[in-house]
Amino acid sequence: MASPAVVELSRWQFAITAVFHMTFPALTVGLSVLLAVVYTVYARTGNPLYLQIFRFWKKIFAVGFGLGVVAGTVMTFEFGLNWGVYAHAVGPVIGVTIGMEVITAFFLEAGFIGLMLYGDGRIRPRTMALACWMVAFGTLLSTTWILSANSWMQDPVGYRKADGQFHAEDWASILLNPAFAHRFPHMLLAVLISAAWFVGGISAWYLVKNRAAAQPMARRCLSLALGVLGVLMPVQLYVGDGTAVFMGQHQLPKLEAFEGNWKSDNNGYNLLVVPDTGRGENRLHVEIPHLGSVIAQDLSGKTTTPGLLQTPPDERPNMWTTFYGFRAMYFTALLMFATAFAGVVLRLRRRLFDSPRFLRWMVWMTPAGIIAITGGWIVAETGRQPWVVYGQLRTADAVSHLSTFEVAASLAGFVLLYVTLLAVWARYIVRTVKAGPEALPTGPAAPDVPEALVA
Amino acid sequence: MLEYASYALVLFSLGMYVVLDGYDLGVGMLSLAAGPARRREYGEIVATAWDANESWIILAGVVLWAGLPGAYAVLLPAVYLPLIGMLIAVILRGLGLEMHSAAGGYRRGWALLFGGASLAVAVCQGLVLGAVLTGPRQEGGRFTGGALDWLSPYGVLCALGLVVLYLLAGAAWLQDKTEGWSRSRTRRTGRSLLAATAVLAVALGLLLPGADPQPTALDEPLRAVLFWLAVAVAVGAAAVAWSGFGRAPDWRPFAAVATLTASGLLALAALTAPVVVPPASTVHQVASPHSSQLFLVLGVGLCMPFVLAYNAYAWRSFRGKYTAPAEPALPPPRPVPHTPAPAAAPSGAVRTVLRRTVLVVSGILATAVSQDVFGGVADWIGPLGVALLAGTALAAWIAGDRRDRRAGHFGADPEAEHTP
Repeated sequence: MASPAVVELSRWQFAITAVFHMTFPALTVGLSVLLAVVYTVYARTGNPLYLQIFRFWKKIFAVGFGLGVVAGTVMTFEFGLNWGVYAHAVGPVIGVTIGMEVITAFFLEAGFIGLMLYGDGRIRPRTMALACWMVAFGTLLSTTWILSANSWMQDPVGYRKADGQFHAEDWASILLNPAFAHRFPHMLLAVLISAAWFVGGISAWYLVKNRAAAQPMARRCLSLALGVLGVLMPVQLYVGDGTAVFMGQHQLPKLEAFEGNWKSDNNGYNLLVVPDTGRGENRLHVEIPHLGSVIAQDLSGKTTTPGLLQTPPDERPNMWTTFYGFRAMYFTALLMFATAFAGVVLRLRRRLFDSPRFLRWMVWMTPAGIIAITGGWIVAETGRQPWVVYGQLRTADAVSHLSTFEVAASLAGFVLLYVTLLAVWARYIVRTVKAGPEALPTGPAAPDVPEALVA
Repeated sequence: MLEYASYALVLFSLGMYVVLDGYDLGVGMLSLAAGPARRREYGEIVATAWDANESWIILAGVVLWAGLPGAYAVLLPAVYLPLIGMLIAVILRGLGLEMHSAAGGYRRGWALLFGGASLAVAVCQGLVLGAVLTGPRQEGGRFTGGALDWLSPYGVLCALGLVVLYLLAGAAWLQDKTEGWSRSRTRRTGRSLLAATAVLAVALGLLLPGADPQPTALDEPLRAVLFWLAVAVAVGAAAVAWSGFGRAPDWRPFAAVATLTASGLLALAALTAPVVVPPASTVHQVASPHSSQLFLVLGVGLCMPFVLAYNAYAWRSFRGKYTAPAEPALPPPRPVPHTPAPAAAPSGAVRTVLRRTVLVVSGILATAVSQDVFGGVADWIGPLGVALLAGTALAAWIAGDRRDRRAGHFGADPEAEHTP
């Protein structure tokens, strides 16, 4: 049908636009919850510290949210632009799910974001707080629908195929599909965690630099971020493990690829592999012997992990992306867990704010969550190839009738634009952080007496 | 019948988009012709609502996908390049707008990016419209045309028409939102844009039968009545706008232009329905199966009143003339006594090594438990371990937070005052 070049270029374009889009929700979903919480505390107590915190993170949130929205718009249209056959086939299922996302979640965020960002001083604090919660609720709801749609493609259920289309038979099982039950909590925790690292890392930077004006805010936010992380990190490792086990049962080739084995005789845990796809073996691999056995919950060190040679060659995912996506996610997760654990220990030892080495390490952890989320999505998406709807529709058969020129042009455009955009976004974050929060007025409340009278 | 509900939803979303984002694209284009002080103001006028306005085109897109997937799958590849161009322009526009808004003062580069990208979005949308009206080549529900099929004289004329229409909406919006404009200049600008819109609309209408491969059927009585009714409303609205420019009440021109735009869209729908993809793909042929239609129409239909209600509420909150947002200054904090924590007593080297070893081992154990490594030994170890770890962290967080507040670590906390 379509030329292989169009398929490859379209895949690259979708991958790049998806990863780029994902980096924004990875921050803004969690930040919207933080903003709603701190504004509510401010509205209830009148403590200016919380207004200061709100205004500071709002600056980063506003730009991140705007860029996330426009980058997401691209994806909505790409389904039809590049993947016309796919769009026609799954429109009755995925189109409806995404439609519900737009009407329930997207509009909620967009309708209240104006009030949230520009309402300070114009509308009552209680209305402001409501607007903040509506935006936060919208972002969470959006995550829910998107994960439902994506999970259905990972493990399709509740449909009947007719005239080359998927016809919905049972909406409850489509929306609440088995993969969704694992992947939604995993992603929900992930976005909250990644925002917490971002907030915690930047707060730690203020403490490291000993910025006087930002100290109360930095301590407050660091305490909050590490509190959230201490609670959520163990839960996330548990949920993540459950997701990997589920995927191993439902998409065995994905597990074969992300554990980096070709033959099924390895009981070690692969730290590093250099796969040779043509010959079906690893040119190099570094492993911890016997540790791979715990994947199957066998502590004797004897159980082997299944390898990719079990899967027919035309149904194998790419081991490079799947393996290293998984390592990026998992190794970062271990660092995150260790850091959060250290945070709890330091708190118990009452040394959270004056442990310079820990604080400096926290600054390095600022992008940890975003890296892990990106890695995780690379596993999820490249690991199910060559299928776009798992086991039902091949990616190569899903592409639109386009010329190589068109897709190459748009891909070049997106790459150029997104590289620039990432640079602008990173520079904006650095500048905003360096400028610091608006200073809290010092001293006690000044009496309302004109200066002339005092003199 | 449900297909028609989906079709109506697409039309409604598209209409909302053209009316709402139309004015903010128009304001963006007009900002190119304005001075630095006005440019910043124009951007800020758009900044409060562009997210919500832009949502309508996304809704139009996904309802088209979900309700009429046959049309979505053919139309989008057919307009690949202009639509990609529009998406890139939308991104640049959002970037320019948000960065300008966040900068706090006038920035020439961001302002020009916002204005230029607004123009590019409008042009690309016009080209898309033209390509849809002239009908893509298709075979068996799949687009089979070439990469540059969308480029036609009629498409270029559509682009021009849409740019002028958006400029008109922008000018009307600015009369409502801004102050300090000269009455006669506003009237002149508004009326000349209105005249240009009318000329282009008539030209596009007369050339349509030649461009659109679908036979025009104005001899069907119902169709003709609806079409001429919509045209009559549009003409009436144009007359109101003509007299309203530069004259109180300031909201009148925009209301008139919005009516004009909506009735124009209805006239087009009256001409072409039930064909979605010219020349002959009808709503029935491209619709998704009944189960999807039902879910979509019910879901979107039930949510729509709420969406309209809170959008109207947000709109009302920013009604009237634009004023520069004056964030009230932070109120001053009350002083808090700061009791520095006593310096930790240095512990012996042996104790330090011992403590670190214990911590590292327990950390590794906690990692293993969290990943359910011991799930093979007993099912309950994983969940119980995770609950214990998370519970400990939560308790430490609450206790530590209270202690830190009492110690004055959070500076400006009034509650810290209560401790002597």
